[in-house]
Amino acid sequence: MNWIVQTFASSVGKKTMMAVTGLGFCLFLAAHLAGNLSLYVGRQTFNAYAEHLHSLEPLVKVMEAGLLFFAAVHVITGLVLFYQNFTARPSRYAVTRSAGGRSVGSRTMPYTGILLLGFVVYHLLNFHFVDKTGTTIYDIVAAAFTDPVTVGLYVCAMIVAAFHVSHGFWSAFQTLGANHPKYMPLIQGAGLVFSLLVGLGFGLLPVYLLAVS
Amino acid sequence: MTKSINLTLKVWRQPGSQSSGRLETYEARDISTDMSFLEMLDVINEQLTLEGAEPIAFDHDCREGICGTCGAVVNGRPHGPEKGTTLCQLHMRHFSDGDTIVIEPWRARAFAVIKDLAVDSSALDRLIQAGGYISASTGGAPDGNAILVPQETAELAMDAAACIGCGACVAACPNASAMLFVGAKVSHLALLPQGKPEAARRVAQMVREMDRLGFGNCTNERECEAECPKEINITNIARLNREFLKARFFSSEK
Amino acid sequence: MQLDGKVPGGSVTQKWDRHRFELKLVNPANKRKFDVIVVGTGLAGGTASASLAELGYNVKTFCIQDSPRRAHSIAAQGGINAAKNYTNEGDSIWRLFYDTVKGGDFRAREANVYRLAQISNNIIDQCVALGVPFARDYGGLLANRSFGGSQVSRTFYARGQTGQQLLLGAYSAMMRQVAAGKVQIFPRREMLELVVVNGQARGIVVRNLVTGELERHLAHAVVLCTGGYGNVYFLSTNAMASNVSATFKCYRRGAFFANPCFTQIHPTCVPVHGTYQSKLTLMSESLRNDGRVWVPGSAGDNRPPGQISEAERDYYLEKKYPSFGNLVPRDVASRNAKEQCDQGKGVGDTGLAVYLDFADAIKRDGRDLITRKYGNLFQMYEKITGEDPYETPMMIYPAVHYTMGGLWVDYNLMSTIDGLFVLGEANFSDHGANRLGASALMQGLADGFFVIPYTIGGYIAGSQFAEITTDHPAFKDAAAETGERIQKLLSVGGRRTVDDFHRQLGLIMWDHCGMARNNDSLGKARSMIQELREEFWENVLVPGQERDFNQSLERAGRVADYMEFAELMIVDALDRQESCGGHFNEAYQTGENEAKRDDEHFSHVSAWEYTGVGIEPNFHREPLVFENVELATRSYK
Repeated sequence: MNWIVQTFASSVGKKTMMAVTGLGFCLFLAAHLAGNLSLYVGRQTFNAYAEHLHSLEPLVKVMEAGLLFFAAVHVITGLVLFYQNFTARPSRYAVTRSAGGRSVGSRTMPYTGILLLGFVVYHLLNFHFVDKTGTTIYDIVAAAFTDPVTVGLYVCAMIVAAFHVSHGFWSAFQTLGANHPKYMPLIQGAGLVFSLLVGLGFGLLPVYLLAVS
Repeated sequence: MTKSINLTLKVWRQPGSQSSGRLETYEARDISTDMSFLEMLDVINEQLTLEGAEPIAFDHDCREGICGTCGAVVNGRPHGPEKGTTLCQLHMRHFSDGDTIVIEPWRARAFAVIKDLAVDSSALDRLIQAGGYISASTGGAPDGNAILVPQETAELAMDAAACIGCGACVAACPNASAMLFVGAKVSHLALLPQGKPEAARRVAQMVREMDRLGFGNCTNERECEAECPKEINITNIARLNREFLKARFFSSEK
Repeated sequence: MQLDGKVPGGSVTQKWDRHRFELKLVNPANKRKFDVIVVGTGLAGGTASASLAELGYNVKTFCIQDSPRRAHSIAAQGGINAAKNYTNEGDSIWRLFYDTVKGGDFRAREANVYRLAQISNNIIDQCVALGVPFARDYGGLLANRSFGGSQVSRTFYARGQTGQQLLLGAYSAMMRQVAAGKVQIFPRREMLELVVVNGQARGIVVRNLVTGELERHLAHAVVLCTGGYGNVYFLSTNAMASNVSATFKCYRRGAFFANPCFTQIHPTCVPVHGTYQSKLTLMSESLRNDGRVWVPGSAGDNRPPGQISEAERDYYLEKKYPSFGNLVPRDVASRNAKEQCDQGKGVGDTGLAVYLDFADAIKRDGRDLITRKYGNLFQMYEKITGEDPYETPMMIYPAVHYTMGGLWVDYNLMSTIDGLFVLGEANFSDHGANRLGASALMQGLADGFFVIPYTIGGYIAGSQFAEITTDHPAFKDAAAETGERIQKLLSVGGRRTVDDFHRQLGLIMWDHCGMARNNDSLGKARSMIQELREEFWENVLVPGQERDFNQSLERAGRVADYMEFAELMIVDALDRQESCGGHFNEAYQTGENEAKRDDEHFSHVSAWEYTGVGIEPNFHREPLVFENVELATRSYK
């Protein structure tokens, strides 16, 4: 077997792929969140931001392709890991109790991951693959968030995302071997702050839009 | 203070690796709190023997927490509820009168149950065979002081080398992964100057063997670190990851 | 019969070099034509397997545990001696040799001890090369600490887990050879019989402890590294599986057993605290570097230690032995603890304990340094007793720890059966009547790394081997006998458990053949053992099946052997009408209650030849000649 295939097929290799793609998504989330914050300013600013993005069209396309590739890698590898980890213990314990290592985030990683996958598809259908003729993106978003059910759904999804990130962020560094007694506490702190930012930043937006509608 | 307690035990009984098993209930009466957990099992076994039943099979040897032979999952916790303690060093003073204790063997695809609580953890030996050594044949070693090893490095290596190979990390891991075991050995040897020449080959082969043996993948749940009776740190897993990536992408090791 | 230790001629400093030159060599290409069986995977067995495989022999290695890394060498805490003189205190090979001979109370073979001291330095080098993380100074040089019976710091250590680290080094070297296909490893096997063909050890019969099947294995030589027999006392610091069976079976096949009464009672163990107790735990002797041993000055004083003022304490070791103080050899420290307790000055619930106090050391060096040195030992003590040794003194009491006796071997480590080599604690050779701390690891590694690779070659090159298979009648007979014995154990169907018998035997041995012995009580013990043995074969209850994972059956076989072996210990103790090292006969003591040797009559190794169960064994002696160390009364004052 080729050394590259061998590397990525190994357990550590698979984890590396998860870490790299996961950190990629973290970067994307940060950028996405920064852009979305313009929604709080108002219609014009947000639409201007969208305009600006469109003016960078080729770059955006490349980024989209990259994201799609990352998503494919993250999802497929994640599913493989999930399956392998499940079969690594064919007979389960009658009693299981945590010694305090696991967190809610780490414990639910595969499940929050699957939920997020569903959400991303839904989100793209909602806002990406929609007919934008004769309207602006702000109007589409604002209209969507007049429905309390949609708002509720988005808020829930963002809570799920926050948990996923809360484990994923520091975990990615650990997987890439970046664990240093001096810096690991900082990384873990940053991960927690980032997951809160993601949860609150994205999660409050629909609520805000519902409130102002 | 020494006192006596009564307990209800639910113990996994399985006649052989091919048979199915189940939890059996036993009453443990007048157990001194000064007993170790294994001594408590000895008492039960003496009773079972006299009653004409088969005693509970469990592995144990040194009974001072260093050989790594013993181990069972006690109420969902490998080696029981005390931090940094092997089953043989767990004393009954940590239990209360009337407690119910569920005792199960290590469970992982890579560890088959031999009988009752005894499991076959020879997969850990195979991991060491895959590269957990320094190739220094007898006779050619230079003076022990010829290569300086900074105290800090020696201490870090010792932290990792303290692993007793009991398998609790695998038993505790939600994914039955052996990364802490492998990480500890890779770290111990990669940290020392003596182990550096083979570091790339070692980590590549040990990871390959780990996957081949059917252990799960590490998802950084940190249960291993929390349950390790020698409190081996997951920084060793990070070092393993680092060594692996270094070996894979920056060495000529195939 | 007088035994010949085959010690080479010349001055003691040149014997080993000369012998290595004189030993025949096996051509490198021919080594692969020879198979060697190694039984046991402790320091001796692990390194023997590795070093023989490195030379090219095909090695089959057997261990009783589930993995070779579990052997009880792993539990050695304190350290390993070597004559490196890194500390510039004036240590030398000669001094280590001298200390070891003197520490052994002049009952060891000089040439063997000198060789051990010579090799000690290579061991450290080899272990460092294998990645053993010995303690280091800030600058990166190896650190040393001091140990009992020596006035120089020559002990190398890895925290309180030196044995573990050395064993893992040996294990890793062996695993490398497993991966290379030169060592085949057979875990969970118990050696139950030695197979002798034409006077040569040619194989073993083992029981597969998982399936219960008897397996036969053939080789050109058998290397026994199966440790000591301390568990004859039931309570000891040995691991639960440690046993005498392998060496005892060889004794029954004709190998002589030497000095079986030489047992070491280690002074610093956690005291016994209940009848259910399954084993005793050692607290490393290194603790005596900083801990001070004391008892209340007056008998019957049962106030808590904190309430006993300095003036009311009796630091008996410091008082009695001003130059060695708390660091006197093990036998001396143990006997003194017993003496204090016999006087009613013992502490704790049972009155069978003395204090080991770290208050002064903590005051002097700070808690941090003490934690760095002994942290894991303190933790272990707290786990067992529930008391914090940082706050209150430890309670310690002597416990059976090591057995200096073992199968008789010559300078080549070969027993009286050709081709049966015995290494490490299983042989009798290097420690005389008392082993110094940090010397067991040294001996195990010396034998395995640097002695057996040469001497086994000399044997193989100089021998003719019959072409046989495991179908040879000798194999069939040995397997059949083993099977019958197992059936016999299972068919008794009595009313007492194996452990019950073992406990009773242990108590007899501890009371009558323990720290202090006398002829009357030894005589009594002998008949008690005979009676108990008879009862055992009529009333033992062994549950389960033969062809199964049956731990009761395993133990039953071992206890059955102890029942016979214990009597041999008594025979030897009765024969040796002197006191020396670990063998203290109350009739032979100085005015100050120290062991009084009788060099005129007992400067020899007693080797016993099996003649039958309950029948007086034949006595053979190997005279001990001291040409280099002057016979003197040991003094640690």
